[in-house]
Order: sequence, then structure tokens, then C-alpha cells
Amino acid sequence: MTVTSETFSHDGYAEAVEAYFDAGYTDGLPVIPPTAEATEAMLAAAGLDGPEVLGEVPTRNIAVTAEKAAINAVMAGCLPEYFPAVVASVRALLQPLANCHSTTATLAGAAHAVVVNGPVRERVGIVSGQACMGPGFRANATIGRALRLVVRNVCRTVPGVLDRASFSWPLRYSFCFGENEEYSDWTPLHVLEGYERDDSVVTVMSVMRLLQATEFAPESEAILATISETARLYGMLTDAFVGDARSVMVVVGVEHHRRLLDDGWTKEAVRETLFERMTKPTLGKYDSEVILAEPANVVVVAAGGPGMAQSQLIMPHLAAPTHERV
Amino acid sequence: MPLITLDPTNGPFGASRTIAMAPRPATLKGQTLGIVANGLGRSEVMFDALAEQLTKWDDLAGAIKVVKPSVAVPPWPEQWAEITEHATVAVTGFGGCGSCSTRSMRDALDLEAAGIPAVCLVHTALVPAVQALCRLVGAADYPFVVVEYPYNPTGMWSVDECNAMAIDVLDAVRIRLTA
Repeated sequence: MTVTSETFSHDGYAEAVEAYFDAGYTDGLPVIPPTAEATEAMLAAAGLDGPEVLGEVPTRNIAVTAEKAAINAVMAGCLPEYFPAVVASVRALLQPLANCHSTTATLAGAAHAVVVNGPVRERVGIVSGQACMGPGFRANATIGRALRLVVRNVCRTVPGVLDRASFSWPLRYSFCFGENEEYSDWTPLHVLEGYERDDSVVTVMSVMRLLQATEFAPESEAILATISETARLYGMLTDAFVGDARSVMVVVGVEHHRRLLDDGWTKEAVRETLFERMTKPTLGKYDSEVILAEPANVVVVAAGGPGMAQSQLIMPHLAAPTHERV
Repeated sequence: MPLITLDPTNGPFGASRTIAMAPRPATLKGQTLGIVANGLGRSEVMFDALAEQLTKWDDLAGAIKVVKPSVAVPPWPEQWAEITEHATVAVTGFGGCGSCSTRSMRDALDLEAAGIPAVCLVHTALVPAVQALCRLVGAADYPFVVVEYPYNPTGMWSVDECNAMAIDVLDAVRIRLTA
């Protein structure tokens, strides 16, 4: 397996790190200098040849190859065993309904959540529990970062150029977490999407807003009401391109999850109820309809740690959640 | 011993190939204007006003308009077929974000490749993005029409502003679409 990318020569490691800053190849943080050996180890871990095309951004005439994804995964700090998940997230982002050009060049500054299901979580250490959306976990941090570096370096989404975000936001550094499939017998996201439980699957979801739904009341009714009211603060319009695939993601925290279980709520029943409430007609500026086609468009995921009685809502940009097997 | 590392990009920014521009008519008289609108705000009102002005002053034969299914995607195939079958010149745009403006530029370049003279309307706030897209796809010098402030970039203009903007860009659109 031989890589074919152009090479750069540096006097040493520190010089290489600085050279990548100078060339504009980083997200503002230092990167691991990508050697041929490290890149080939990534490709070997995924069983891919460098020239294999993972997907394209047609508006930009860009094709993302496995080799370029591997180089950026090295730079992000990934271990080789993470690379299959990186490949799946790149492929998911480059599916048409992920609308890569729109979600990465927008003034609104959308980010992307990478949600991982299946055995790969345990195999490589993707965290789904306490603090899973934040810093501290190499697999979460570097898989999410690798996707963003591909978006930057291969898809050319650089601030001031094709990244036109007026503010941008911290989720664009990295945003990857697992679903906590072990907490209860709720059906995992990938199984609801038609995969086998033993499959490992990545879901990529554009993130226009990340809203916290905090409800301390113990009643399931109050929890579901607060989640739907939070989604309705801004509502969501239709988009003819995304069509019936337009979805919101509800990441149910442990305290809410526990109380819902106590009252016998399945994941399927939760999404049915939230769909019904979110899609009621608009009543005012901060009580707006979330226009969805069916209950399956309320994508319910379990994650997070104990303590705070909170769930998270991921409201999308002009894209649908897309899935790829790892 | 030197440390050898790899280029993480697709190569130098800016393709070497170029997109050929479609041959321009001498005037717009008798031409059919294709409008590829991204649907932002009241951009349709502005485009309708532009078509009205070109009909009034240039004897345009008519106009045909499609509104894309989302702000930063290509037209549906049937919309593309409608435009390329009937339009002899075209305008694309307008307003909105970096992805909307760059996609509208790509629409214009695709029309040129299909043999239809085109021009993209771009807000001055998004000029760097559009220029980057042009470089990326091998059309670095492709001309476009810039709309300046006080019109805001994101398409939420009043009807009066739409009509005023159509008059503001009229000469520039005419120049870009004719030889």
C-alpha cells in the first residue's frame, strides 16, 4: 500500500507542526505531522486503498479519497483502529441528503454530530456516557476532528473562503459521541434504521442548534412536554430537497431516560409522542411547529451521564441524518 | 534526518482547466431569459422585476423561472431540463449565505457549459466565497454582477427594494449576457 500525495520535508517534528499551521492546514490547534507510514497504517486498518473515493462534493468538483481522509485522520490524532469510523463518517457526510456543500459553506455555521452505534464503540473506546459530548476522550475527540479536517482540507471549507459562517462555533472543532445502548432495552438508533444490532454504524447529523431541555420534575409527562416545548422555541420549516427525511435528534439524558423507563416508555413511544407535540400548529414566535413527516423523524438517542435532569436537542441545517456501516 | 510528511489537501487551490463561456448574442432582443432562483427571501420578486425591465427596454421575448428545491442545491433534473430546453440566456442567484451564493455561481457555470450565456448575481458580502468557488472549479476569471449594500445579503428585502435592485443591476446584467 503506497501513498501518492505530495510530500513536504521538515527539519524536525516541531518544524513540521509549525509548517502545517503556516500552510493553513489546521483547525487552529496543533496537528500530528502525517507521515506515509502513519497514513498507510490508517488505510490498512480500514482495508482501503488510497485512491478509493469515499464520496464527492459535486458543487465544488471535489472527490474525497481514502488517502486524503487517512492523512487528515493522522493529523487529528486518530489511532488506526479509529479510521473505519472516520471513513464511515466521511461517507455519511458525502451522501446527497447530508448536503455537504450547503451545511459547510453556510453563513449560519452549521456543525455536524457524529453518532456511533454498535460494537465499535467498545472496541475503540467511543464514550456514550458521562461528558460524552465534551473533551477528554481520544476516540470521540479525534474521530470528530478528523471529519472536520477533511471538511477543511479536502472539501476546502476554510474560514474567509468557502466557510462563510458569520460566527461559527466550537462544535466545528469536533462533535462525536456514542449512543448508550447498554443503559436500557431501548432499541438502538441503528437497529431502528434497519441495521443489525451487531453492526457498527455511524450517523452524521447536521447541527444548526444544540438546545438543552432541562426538566427536574419526575413525571414523564413533564419531561416530554419540556423536550417538545424546547424544540418548538424555534420550530423548523420544510425543505423540498430534504423532503420527508427532515429530522430532529433528541439525545435523552440518563435522568430523563430513567424516569421514562420507570413509566414504561419505549423509544418508539417517545418519538410518537414527541412527533405529535412538535408538529402541532404554530401558536406564536416562540411556539413554532417543527414540520416533520412522521414519528421516525424524531431520532431518539440515549447518551450522557447521571446527575443533570437534561436532554439535548439537535436541530438540523438543510440536511437529513445519514448512516453508514463502519 | 528530515521528517517527510504528506499534503492533506487535494492539491493547489484552483484547477488549471477552464470552463468555456457560451457565445453571447449581440443583443437581448428576442431572447428568452431563464431564471434559476434559489428561493431566498423575496429574490423571486427581484428576478420578476428584472425580467420585466429587460422585456421593457431590450425586447426580451419572455422569461422562464425555476425555484430550486433548496437554497444551495442544483435545480431538480426536470427544472434543469425546462431551463436548458427553453432559455437562451440566464440569470442565477440571489442572496443568502455562502453556500447559496456559491451554488448559484455553480448553476451559472453549468449553464455556460450547456451553451447558455449566464450571469450570477452576488452580494458583495459573499464575493470572496464566489471567487473561491470559481477558482476551485476552473473558472477563476468568470465575471459576475455584484450587488452592494445597503441591500442586505440575506434576501429579506421589501418589494420596493426588490424593484430598485432590479433597476440597479439591469445594465450590468445586459453587459454580461451580450457580446
